[in-house]
Amino acid sequence: MAMDVVDYEIFGSEMQYVEVELDPGEAAVGEAGVMMYMQDGIQMDTVFGDGSQQQGGFMGKLMGAGKRLLTGESLFTTVFHNEGSGKRRVAFAAPYPGKIIPVRLSDIGGTLICQKDSFLCAAKGVSLGIAFQKKLGVGLFGGEGFIMQKLEGDGMAFVHAGGTLKEMVLAPGESLRVDTGCVVAFQPSVDFDIQFVGKIKSAVFGGEGFFFSTLTGPGKVWLQSLPLSRLANRIILSAPAAGGRSADQGSLLGAGVLGGLLGRDD
Amino acid sequence: MPAFWAACSEEMIDRPFCGRLFGPGLPGTGIPATGSWGEDGRLRVSPEGAEQEELLAENPVIATAGFNAASLRINWQAAGGVYAFIIESEADSNSCRVSAPPETIRYFTSAVGARIKLDRRFRLGGAFLGLILLLPLIGIGVFLLNSDKVADWAVKHISSEQEAQLGELVLTQTKLRMKILDRGPAVDAVNAIGSRLTTGSVHRYRWFVADRPDINAFAAPGGVVVVYSGLIRSAGSAEEIAGVLAHEVAHAELRHSLRGMIKSLGLRALVSLLVGDASGSVFADAATRLTELRFSREAELEADDEALRRLVAARINPNGMLRFYGKLASEQRLSPSAILSTHPATGDRIERLRQEVAQRSENWVPLQVDLGPVRMILP
Repeated sequence: MAMDVVDYEIFGSEMQYVEVELDPGEAAVGEAGVMMYMQDGIQMDTVFGDGSQQQGGFMGKLMGAGKRLLTGESLFTTVFHNEGSGKRRVAFAAPYPGKIIPVRLSDIGGTLICQKDSFLCAAKGVSLGIAFQKKLGVGLFGGEGFIMQKLEGDGMAFVHAGGTLKEMVLAPGESLRVDTGCVVAFQPSVDFDIQFVGKIKSAVFGGEGFFFSTLTGPGKVWLQSLPLSRLANRIILSAPAAGGRSADQGSLLGAGVLGGLLGRDD
Repeated sequence: MPAFWAACSEEMIDRPFCGRLFGPGLPGTGIPATGSWGEDGRLRVSPEGAEQEELLAENPVIATAGFNAASLRINWQAAGGVYAFIIESEADSNSCRVSAPPETIRYFTSAVGARIKLDRRFRLGGAFLGLILLLPLIGIGVFLLNSDKVADWAVKHISSEQEAQLGELVLTQTKLRMKILDRGPAVDAVNAIGSRLTTGSVHRYRWFVADRPDINAFAAPGGVVVVYSGLIRSAGSAEEIAGVLAHEVAHAELRHSLRGMIKSLGLRALVSLLVGDASGSVFADAATRLTELRFSREAELEADDEALRRLVAARINPNGMLRFYGKLASEQRLSPSAILSTHPATGDRIERLRQEVAQRSENWVPLQVDLGPVRMILP
C-alpha cells in the first residue's frame, strides 16, 4: 500500500523535537506519550498494536501488540489524523537528550533495524515489528540485547538516539568497531557481530568491557555517542540523594576536601 | 526447501532476482538492482534507473550476510573496488541459487549450512535460557513433591541438643510476647500430668503456663511445652488437659515443628530465587504460608494417633481428649475459618479418635490432680 508522504522539520539542537506536516487525510503514528503539540483539525486516535494496516483480524492485532510489549514499548500507539481542510502540524519530542534521526525507508530498501525503544514516530503505514537477534553472542554481549526493532515500509520514520549522532556509510567489506550499546540503527545488509577486545589486560582495565560490536558493510549505520543507560548511570553516580558525591564547581580545593568538610549539610 | 528446488529447476536459467547493489560510486545506502546469471556463468547486475550501466561480476564470492545472516551477499572485485549485491528476500535467494552455475554451488551449500547452524544455536540457546528461568519453578515443584523426604533427611541431621537450643530460643521469644509462668500450682499440675506422658523421652521436658485467655497450647522443639491459662480454665478434668498435652508432646516427639520449619525455609529460599528479592512480597508470603498450613494438617492427624498411643501407654483415659475436642468443635462453629485454620475439621478428628478409643477399653488410672485450686490461683 502507498505510504503517507509527510513533510517534517526538526527543531532544537541537543534536545530535539520533530514537527510533522500532514496534508488533509494523512496520518502519522507516534509512540504513546511522545506527542508535544498538535494543531486544530488533527484527531488523535489510540489504537491497539502498531496502527499499520497489514495485520488483519483480532489475533493479528494481538500479535502486533505483544511484539510491541517485547520491544519495551506501550501496547498502544497513537495515530494522528488530519481531519481538517488544510495542512496541519503535529510535533513529537524526543524523551531524552540526543538527536532525532529521520529515515526515508524507501531510500534504504524498505527496512531499518534499530535499537528497541528508540522509535519515535512514523508516517502511517510503517509497520513496527521486532527482529530477534539470533546470534547468541551478540544478544548477550552486544549491548543491544536479543530484541531489536524492525521498521518496514516506504515512508518516513523517526528514531531517536542519545548524545550526538554519527551517520556512517560502510563500503562492502569495510568494518567498524563500536562500543557496545552505541549502535542505534543499521540497514539490514550490515553484519552486526561482536569481537573480543583482544587482550585480557584491555578487557579488564580498558574500561570498554570485554567485547566490541563490529559492523561490517555494505550499508549505512547510525551510532549514538551517549547511550541513555550510560547517561543514567552517571547521573545516579553523582546524585547525592542516591549516595553520590556532590561536587560544587569553582571550589578552590576541589570538591573532595573542602566540599567534604563543609558541604555535608544534609 | 527441496520441493521448491525441484519446482524451479525445470524452468529456464537466466531468471532475474532482485536485490540491492553497493559499490564504489554508488550511494552508500545502495540502489535497487536486478541480477541474473548469464549463459557463460557470469553474474549480470543491472541497477534500476537508466543512467547506471549494467555490471558484469567476475569470480563472485557468495556468502550469508547482514542482520541474522538472513540475506545473501555476492561480492566481486572490479576495477573501481569491491562491489556487493545483497539479496534480502528468501524467494530471490532461491531464484539466484537455482540458476547459479555449478562452480558456485559450494558457496550456496556453505551459506545454507551457516544459516542452519545459526538457527540451531539460537534455538539451543533459547531453550537453555528458558530452562535457567524455569529452574526455580521446577525446583519448587520437585521440592513440593519430595518435601517430606527432604524434611526427613534434614531432621535426621539435627541432634536433640540443637533441638533443645532451638526450644530455648522459641521460649525466649515467647517470653517477650506474653507472660510466662514457670512455677506455681498451675505449672505443677501441668507437670504432674505431662511427666506421665513423656516417660522415656530423649528430651528433658519443661512445662510452662502462659497468661493468655485463648484455649491453646504449643510445643516447641526440644521439649518446651507452653499451655495457655485459658485452656486450663476451660478444661473440665485433668484427663482433658492430658489429652491436649499428649497431642502437643506428640508434635514435639514427631519433630513436626522442626519439619515444618525446614519445609517453609526451603520453600522460601526457592520462591525468593524465582521472584527475585521479593521474599517479603505478598505473593511469596501467601504461597509459602498456604503450604505451611498443608504440612500442619497432615501432621495434626499423625499427632492425634501418637497422642492416643501415649495416653493408652500412660493408662490415662483418652475419653478426656475426646471431650475436650468436642468443646473445641462447638467453639469453632462460632468462627467459621475452618479451611484456613491449622486444625483440620475437628469433627472428623473426633470421629476418627472415637473409633480408635472404642477398641481400647482398659482399666484407666484416674489422674490425681485437682484442678479446683489451680483454677482459683490462675492469674
